[in-house]
Amino acid sequence: MKQAIYGLILYVFLILPPVASLAESVMTIHMHMQMPLLVVVGFLFTPFLKQTFPNFFVQWNAKGVPGILLFMVITVYWMLPRAMDEALNIRAIETFKFISLPFFAGVPLRDSWSKMNRLWKSITFIFLTLTYGMIGILYILTPIQLCNNYLMLEQKTLGWSSLVTALCFLAYLILNVTIDKSKYE
Amino acid sequence: MVKNKQNIAILIVLIFGFSLLYFGTDGFQAFTAEKARVNNLMKDHPIFPEVTLEDSEGAKYSFSKFEGKYVLMTFLYTGCTDVCPQLEYNLAQVHDLIPSQYVGEKIEFLSISFDPTRDTPETLKKYAQYFNTDSTAWKIARISNEEELTSLLNEFGIIVIPDDYGNFQHNSAFYLVDPNGILIEVLDYKKVEEAATIVTTILEEKVGRN
Repeated sequence: MKQAIYGLILYVFLILPPVASLAESVMTIHMHMQMPLLVVVGFLFTPFLKQTFPNFFVQWNAKGVPGILLFMVITVYWMLPRAMDEALNIRAIETFKFISLPFFAGVPLRDSWSKMNRLWKSITFIFLTLTYGMIGILYILTPIQLCNNYLMLEQKTLGWSSLVTALCFLAYLILNVTIDKSKYE
Repeated sequence: MVKNKQNIAILIVLIFGFSLLYFGTDGFQAFTAEKARVNNLMKDHPIFPEVTLEDSEGAKYSFSKFEGKYVLMTFLYTGCTDVCPQLEYNLAQVHDLIPSQYVGEKIEFLSISFDPTRDTPETLKKYAQYFNTDSTAWKIARISNEEELTSLLNEFGIIVIPDDYGNFQHNSAFYLVDPNGILIEVLDYKKVEEAATIVTTILEEKVGRN
């Protein structure tokens, strides 16, 4: 319950118009801070929602696969340059951002994570590494402005921060494969 | 039972995901807002609004001056160091590629500045000299009235974002307006020959009809 309250506070804070417009004014903050924080809001809501609707999560997301697929779909959608632009210009898309990231990405990710086997966890990390890596390379190399609301320089900055994120995921993946965990347990 | 529900859930998620991406990109056509903008312009065909242009010679006139002719136009500001010179250089090339009997008779060229405070007629004149604009069929002009400028930029979907250094980030293209003032084509300014071919074909069709 405590987590849900923290989640609610964070959620309301992120929705506050001055906070939202400040976060959205810089492309990297928009994509790499506001959006992930909305996913975190979903994490914090998850225990409360699972308590309230226990059957729903057990029945519909038994092995965690539907949940993780939903998380991936939402992630891919918000990587589209067009979605970023429309979140700024179209009210309905902005509303969808504030609903989809916590409830269709954050909640299913946390619920699925503990249920998934090693294979699906690896698939998730590989998916994140690839999407962040691709979007990073795309934003760094493209000679054209992909988002009408952001400057080219911001686009390049976002490209590099995405690539660094991808490298972090990759490092984790490599560590996970090479470290013999039994030695530390 | 639970297994069954899980499969149904996977199916629902996949359908939802496909629809989201399908409708979010107009059927996998437009992954950027710019592409969606151009597609929409080609569908909506906005009309060039009534605005007062002031060209590099200081002459003032409304857009109806061009009535009866096609107009190939660009939007720029002269302080721009990257895209605009390329845009204007390419427009000059399109100008030269279009058969000369049409130039001035059937088609005019117009470059519009969206930075009227700095782009005075004198500045525009100096700028025009860098490009082959001794052609009388090419005007470079500003729109001094802010409301008129905004209405034109909105109609044609041009987004201009000022940065902290007095520059602007803006989307660029060739815009072809027909003799009735209706926007009929938005062309890639980087593909000079393709643009010239499309414009020439349209002009030839027009001549064929008359």
